[in-house]
Amino acid sequence: MEDHIDDLFGYVQERCLWQFFSRTWDRQENIDGVLGKAFELFTGKDPKLATPADKLFYADAKSMVSDCLSRFPWIKQADEAEIRQVLDGLKARLVDNVITKSTNRELTHHLY
Amino acid sequence: MPMVLLKCDSDIPERQKHIYLKGPNEDSTEFLPVANAPTIPGTLSERGCAFCGAKLVIGGVLKDTIQMIHGPLGCAYDTWHTKRYPTDNGHFNMKYVWSTDMKESHVVFGGEKRLEQSMHEAFDEMPEIKRMIVYTTCPTALIGDDVKAVAKKVMKDRPDVDVFTVECPGFAGVSQSKGHHVLNIGWINEKVATLEPEITSQYTMNFIGDFNIQGDTQLLQTYWDRLGIQVIAHFTGNGTYDALRGMHRAQLNVVNCARSSGYIANELKKQYGIPRLDIDSWGFNYMAEGIRKICAFFGIEEKGEALIADEYAKWKPKLDWYKERLQGKKMAIWTGGPRLWHWTKSVEDDLGIQVVAMSSKFGHEEDFEKVIARGQEGTYYIDDGNELEFFEILEHVKPDVIFTGPRVGELIKKLHIPYVNGHGYHNGPYMGFEGFVNLARDTYNAVYNPIRHLAGIDIRDENPAILPVKIREAA
Repeated sequence: MEDHIDDLFGYVQERCLWQFFSRTWDRQENIDGVLGKAFELFTGKDPKLATPADKLFYADAKSMVSDCLSRFPWIKQADEAEIRQVLDGLKARLVDNVITKSTNRELTHHLY
Repeated sequence: MPMVLLKCDSDIPERQKHIYLKGPNEDSTEFLPVANAPTIPGTLSERGCAFCGAKLVIGGVLKDTIQMIHGPLGCAYDTWHTKRYPTDNGHFNMKYVWSTDMKESHVVFGGEKRLEQSMHEAFDEMPEIKRMIVYTTCPTALIGDDVKAVAKKVMKDRPDVDVFTVECPGFAGVSQSKGHHVLNIGWINEKVATLEPEITSQYTMNFIGDFNIQGDTQLLQTYWDRLGIQVIAHFTGNGTYDALRGMHRAQLNVVNCARSSGYIANELKKQYGIPRLDIDSWGFNYMAEGIRKICAFFGIEEKGEALIADEYAKWKPKLDWYKERLQGKKMAIWTGGPRLWHWTKSVEDDLGIQVVAMSSKFGHEEDFEKVIARGQEGTYYIDDGNELEFFEILEHVKPDVIFTGPRVGELIKKLHIPYVNGHGYHNGPYMGFEGFVNLARDTYNAVYNPIRHLAGIDIRDENPAILPVKIREAA
């Protein structure tokens, strides 16, 4: 399981700008939103695209899911529970890395 | 120790907090260079001033706007024509420069009358131009000239003109980054939503943080046209003053330069609920990904795939020709901030180049988080680097080419290391598919330029160390 989380974490760190938005709340919102849509896509569900934010997270998640499916063959073998577990682990790792332990001094400034 | 104290910095050990050498399995939670902090006394910084960040980088790009610089002449001249951002209306912004030409008497007795007179004079001389940005500079800010009051008076006298003021003197921040911020926040607070744009497509976006360097904006615009996406405002490449007043009507904000322009994208999201999508516009892989994301947002994926396929068919063979010859070459990137993280993986993935050192003039810690996540181990990451540090780093990493500005570029030429203009480009555009082939071509021409090898040969030496065969290795 940890290996699979490592795979996805390495990919997100290298490819995804949404994890590094300006403030903690932006980063948290993106992590929750993109990984939420990624779960739906990985598990073959139709993502809800009701709001502009839904469409944004879908756009980012779609690229991520497509890339990860081609890079990591284990994903195709994983069932829904495993996908959920891996994405939960990825979320925890991202929150830890880009929010909780980040030493970026601007992350919590209340103004942009 | 991953934070590096260079020999040249032995008298200013504080610099150690700004220079990082990435080790195996390290990340930015452990080591993050201090950035966007005051320059340390004793170091010869290469930073620009806050005024420059507002005028040269963002405001001065607009193609229909008088840039009135309220200050001494040098503030105008030194932020004019040093960046190449053409326009499709004959490069109005690059042909003219405006200044109130403050002298000692104006500093002593106040410069407001001088400013008012200059504004009227500029509008009279250019009656077809109805838009103006007025900038304060160090002396006019220090004497407290009220430029907003003057702008209001001029607008009252001339009801058909609109004036925006940027109060960001050179000393206002630690680097040009402060000027980006002040202009972004001023514009969203004072000008956005003061004009309704004409909507011509069901798909609308703002393209933020692209300044049409040698035609970047115009090249990317051909993609958006083919996709049927209306760009309401370009912030600010080839852009107009009034288009930027209508940014509130876009469905999506697409951000390229998050450093200079992320602020307005954040505020547009906060104030108007417009989502922010960050993309990389340099590199084949990145550009394709950016187009796919934009098309996914609008639900026009098929159009996007067709566009990408067309562009790949046209340009990929050319890129691959250069990749074959640039594989394994070493590059240093010494630019402003975001190009470090935009470029490090794109040149690695698309051209096989290894980036061995990167220095940022005005990047913030967010930029270093991004570049450390994307960059390689064994690479130097430097905040606010100076010339002595550059020379010492060069000894360590021995790059084949450096992407930087002309000033540093002239210095390293003396070491027979080629440079490519990483700010204004050599022969751009560099964005998009065609653009990245241009970047590859300029890199190839720099790396294999025979002149630099010949320049390294002392013709009095009977046994020169650099043999002529070196200059033919590209063949």
